[in-house]
Amino acid sequence: MTSPPLGAARATSTPRAAARLRAVLTYAASLTVALALATAVVTLSGHSAADTLLALYQGSLEGGASLGQTVDEAVPLLLVAVGAVVCTRAGLFNIGQEGQVLIGATAGAAIALSAPGPGPLVLALTLAGSALGGALWAGVAAVLHYRRGVDVVIGTLLLVFVAGQVVSYAVNRDFLLQESAVPGQILAPQSDPVPEAARLPRLGEYPDFNVGGGVFLALAVTLLLAFLLRHGTWGFKVRMLGLNPVAARRAGVSAGWIGGGALLLSGACAGLAGGVVLTGGVYRLQPGLADNVGWEGLLVALVARNRPLLAVPVALFFGALRAGGGFLASTGVPRYLVSVVTALLVLAAVFPAAYAELRARRRRGSGGGA
Amino acid sequence: MRVPAVEMVGVTKRFGSVVACDRVSLSVREGEIHGLLGQNGAGKTTLMKILLGLVRPDAGRVLVRGHEVEIRDPRTAADLGIAMVQQHFSLVPAMRVWENVVLGAGGRLDRSAARGRIQEVARRYGLAVDPDARVEDLTTGERQRVEIVKCLWRDPALLILDEPTSVLTPAESRELFSVLRRVASHERRSVILISHKLDEIRHATDRVTVMRSGRVVARRATPGMDVADLAREMIGREPGTRAAAAAVGAMDAVVSPSPGEPERPGRTADADRGMEPGRPGPAAEPDHTGVFDRAATDRAEDLGRAGEPGPATRPRPAEPEEEPGDTLEFGRVADSGPAGDPGPAAVDEAEVLLRVRDAYATAPDGRPLLRGLSLHVRAGEILGIAGVEGNGQAALADLLSSLIELDAGVVEVCGRPVPTGRAGAMHRAGVGVVPEDRHRSGCVLDMSVAENLVLADVGRVAAGGLVRPRRLREHAARLIEEFEIVVTDPDAPLRRLSGGNQQKVVLARELSANPRVLVAAQPSRGLDVAAAEYVAERIRRAARDGIAVLLISSDLEEILALAHRVAVIHRGAIAGEMPRAEADVARLALLMGGRAA
Amino acid sequence: MTDMLAVAGLILASAVRLSVPLAFAALGEYVAERAGTLNISVEGMMLGGAFTAVAGANLTGSPALGLLAGVAAGLAVALAQALFSHALTVNPYVVGLTLNVFVLGLTSFLAESVRDEPRQVDLVPVPWLADLPVLGPGLFAHRWPAYLLVVLVPLAWWLVRRTRWGLEARAVGENPQAADVAGVPVNRRRRQALLVCGALSGLGGAYLAVGEVGLFNPNMTAGRGYLVIAAVIFGGWTLRGALAGCLLFGAADALRLALPALGFDLTPQLLIASPYLLALLALTLFARGRGRRGPAALGVPFTRGIT
Repeated sequence: MTSPPLGAARATSTPRAAARLRAVLTYAASLTVALALATAVVTLSGHSAADTLLALYQGSLEGGASLGQTVDEAVPLLLVAVGAVVCTRAGLFNIGQEGQVLIGATAGAAIALSAPGPGPLVLALTLAGSALGGALWAGVAAVLHYRRGVDVVIGTLLLVFVAGQVVSYAVNRDFLLQESAVPGQILAPQSDPVPEAARLPRLGEYPDFNVGGGVFLALAVTLLLAFLLRHGTWGFKVRMLGLNPVAARRAGVSAGWIGGGALLLSGACAGLAGGVVLTGGVYRLQPGLADNVGWEGLLVALVARNRPLLAVPVALFFGALRAGGGFLASTGVPRYLVSVVTALLVLAAVFPAAYAELRARRRRGSGGGA
Repeated sequence: MRVPAVEMVGVTKRFGSVVACDRVSLSVREGEIHGLLGQNGAGKTTLMKILLGLVRPDAGRVLVRGHEVEIRDPRTAADLGIAMVQQHFSLVPAMRVWENVVLGAGGRLDRSAARGRIQEVARRYGLAVDPDARVEDLTTGERQRVEIVKCLWRDPALLILDEPTSVLTPAESRELFSVLRRVASHERRSVILISHKLDEIRHATDRVTVMRSGRVVARRATPGMDVADLAREMIGREPGTRAAAAAVGAMDAVVSPSPGEPERPGRTADADRGMEPGRPGPAAEPDHTGVFDRAATDRAEDLGRAGEPGPATRPRPAEPEEEPGDTLEFGRVADSGPAGDPGPAAVDEAEVLLRVRDAYATAPDGRPLLRGLSLHVRAGEILGIAGVEGNGQAALADLLSSLIELDAGVVEVCGRPVPTGRAGAMHRAGVGVVPEDRHRSGCVLDMSVAENLVLADVGRVAAGGLVRPRRLREHAARLIEEFEIVVTDPDAPLRRLSGGNQQKVVLARELSANPRVLVAAQPSRGLDVAAAEYVAERIRRAARDGIAVLLISSDLEEILALAHRVAVIHRGAIAGEMPRAEADVARLALLMGGRAA
Repeated sequence: MTDMLAVAGLILASAVRLSVPLAFAALGEYVAERAGTLNISVEGMMLGGAFTAVAGANLTGSPALGLLAGVAAGLAVALAQALFSHALTVNPYVVGLTLNVFVLGLTSFLAESVRDEPRQVDLVPVPWLADLPVLGPGLFAHRWPAYLLVVLVPLAWWLVRRTRWGLEARAVGENPQAADVAGVPVNRRRRQALLVCGALSGLGGAYLAVGEVGLFNPNMTAGRGYLVIAAVIFGGWTLRGALAGCLLFGAADALRLALPALGFDLTPQLLIASPYLLALLALTLFARGRGRRGPAALGVPFTRGIT
């Protein structure tokens, strides 16, 4: 094992078993506090915690259809997360995935709604186009960074809001992607549905377990990137760049190509996620299409400590929360609760490692500047 | 007997399994300049960090004027009147001098009062500073003056200086010592001067405490001290080679006229502190002749390194020839140049492997880094670049590391021009670099040792775009053995290795890439004598193998010990150049200070 | 001609009114960023402030007390941000995002429970000045908390540029290593700067809720927090610039609302995106100037002794 996971606490001089026990306990405590807070919020607002929990469970894990929904929700999260991991390992922090998802979906919609040809080809073009769209959007931030020194965080963040307006513009103009007029009906700000041919095939049948084809795509991308990051010469260079950019430059790793490439790659993953969302279930381009997939994918990457394989179970977990949220409405509990729970769980997940590192630092005798 | 100004009793500090300070006791009197002498890694810096509140000791007491105190953080130390004159990372470049001086001092912010007081302090101690200048516009020497003013601002009882002369010309060093003398004697403050150089200790201090491997091994009064004795205490054995002597700054104790060699110009009988450091007068030198005659076998044992694979495996091919040139006989200089190398005549015919022509470069903030620097190095030659730090050495090394792009000028390797600033171009052209700050550009601490042994040439252990673990491991094993790197697990992060071993990793990697040109910048900095000797020997061997070596060092003795030719860098250009035989400290000092020699 | 002036006056009034909540938060974010913390959770602070202000106003019957409650909410978010990113050194961007998601979710979740009759602080026109043509309504006829800006702006300037706290905060934003060596408690100053930002941003959100609108709607800040970040960046990390940015972005908003009524068919999306585009433009064009890059250590977490 060569590169330790980012943020991992270093080995201390205390016995391994005690340290591990302490870690487990901290995680348990952290989670308990988070869940307790969530429960408090639910009960204090007059709802039943038990009913809420049941609804979440039913929506995400009970029965084939729910499981399928969980997977479907997890897929775009995983794609965004894997891209974010690669980018972070290269030393660049991209927080603009929400915008890249939107632009990717827009590009995909444009292709799907206009490209002629057999089904599989159109679908492939759509997805490729989505990836390209996301990459280009991230590319804007990359160019601004490498040519003009604009911070990647700021650049990608500001572009998120620009992306939202780009999509809004596109679906409000009939010469662009606005839906075709139907006499007697007011035009909604959305595009036409993508043709059947361009939709991701589904496996299985409702109400049994059924899931979109995107899951294979997401898994393939995850495995490929995980492998290349660990074993490829490209991954070696990416890691070097992230850990020591000066040494990397001396060793021939061009910050522009490798770093910029990583940024583009993360944009492509986010764009692809947008394409999957579009062709996997939503079918129409709408301004709200991203639905926080970009932000939450980023959180998945964080909770997974920037390890691509760990992102799979974390994405599934967050996907379960999202799926369960759909069911909540039936109990009268606003689905916003899912956001609350998600955020609390993220904080609970990062607290223990950060706390352990803080303790290690204090013990070493040099604090962080009180 | 008056109560000492500051006293440390039985102070111990461990970092993991490494004992940085082992029951150290130090006592500093009021009004004295106390020298803290020891080689790199002896524990001096850690000890001072404890005094400054940056590190908490595991055991021991600290007393200020007889009262026991607990120094928890830098603010407490400052309140107690303990201040350190920093070298790096201590001034905010974007802010002005007066803002930097009052930063952290507490109390209301009053610009005019601050400026007035700064000017007063500057006048009293003879330090020229402009309160309204922005720090980023100042030179290194000026910044150090600001640092000193910043220290004196707080009215400290104890002033600590850590190797202050590495960034100063010999003339500036003299000035500094007189300022310190004024500070100490006129104001009854105490000064601790940390150094690994005997000359500094001799010229500037009243008493000296010697540390080695975390322990105090000797305490002496400076006047009348025995230099050889101190050198021995500092290293723990006889300094067996010239390189070792260089490492302890004992060179001038060594280099005195041998029979037949003309008296060096400018030598006087003065032995007082007013003299330029590095120029001993005969009166100051006790008689050492004949004390350290060694036989070859004794030396081999002496040079065994504690805790590392023994000298038996270390390659020393030309030993018999080296001996006369290299034996350290205090009181007698016997060499004519770096040991065991081809004479200057042979080298003159060799091919020029590295040529830099009229190099101009500027930093991102507009500061000029290189101003028309030109040099050339031939195969098998070691060109030593001497100079006070901050005159372009870092820029030169960065240039040859592809980290800086030239505004004008060319770099040619083996006759072919190499694009500057392009990632990896220098490396591909055959330039290996052992950088000054290995953590910054030499290695990746969080990657494994095996990975660090590859870095730029990952293609060598890869096939089809994938790194082959077996080839990586084999490559690492080979280098670990050849360079005697002490490491238990090649897959462990490089961070775990000691400084000396990390340097070896960098050296191993660079040399194993078969470079035509090797750039070594401050190669033995931060290393103990044994590791420094090893590095020096590998550099010599590289030259013998036909590599053109560029040795950049602010340590004159290191240069004089290794180089065939010596050049002096000053303000981004080469100020003068001469063969080793013609080089002497006086001439070099003049060039380093910017005057023609 | 008088028609156009009247219209201009109306738009100006609208612009100023819309930029007041931004201005409060921008003061806070300015202090935070000068101290080196790129604080993304402004959105959460503002939204939390808005919600708590309405809740507090309902509880006590006094919108003024609601304002105080809003400040407290902003402080609470700031405390969480400070705890996670400066005491524990979790990536501050992700902490900020998480807090925004949390606050959005929580306030939307609880939005129904604070639904009540609209409560607003009083409109207090400045006597005589408010009657000036064109400029009068725009500058002198606001709800009374807006006038706090007259005091808060110089106060913020004085805090950052003339006090020791401000000197230390700026040093911490430029070069935390140097500040640490000088004895300045780096992370503590950064946390304090965050608290200032939280209080002011909470006030901004509170003003939006009990000043402008009178009730709470889910996600009523609608990304204004990110606008504030854009304003500080656009303004080159100076106080004047940040406030100018707020005014400019307020004007963009006002135009967007006014233009269709005036018969112009300008793409609303361009106007909505304009603040972000302007900020990007400012960063791109003025990248080389001093101060345009912001404090040197902006966004870089600090731990002592890290090699």
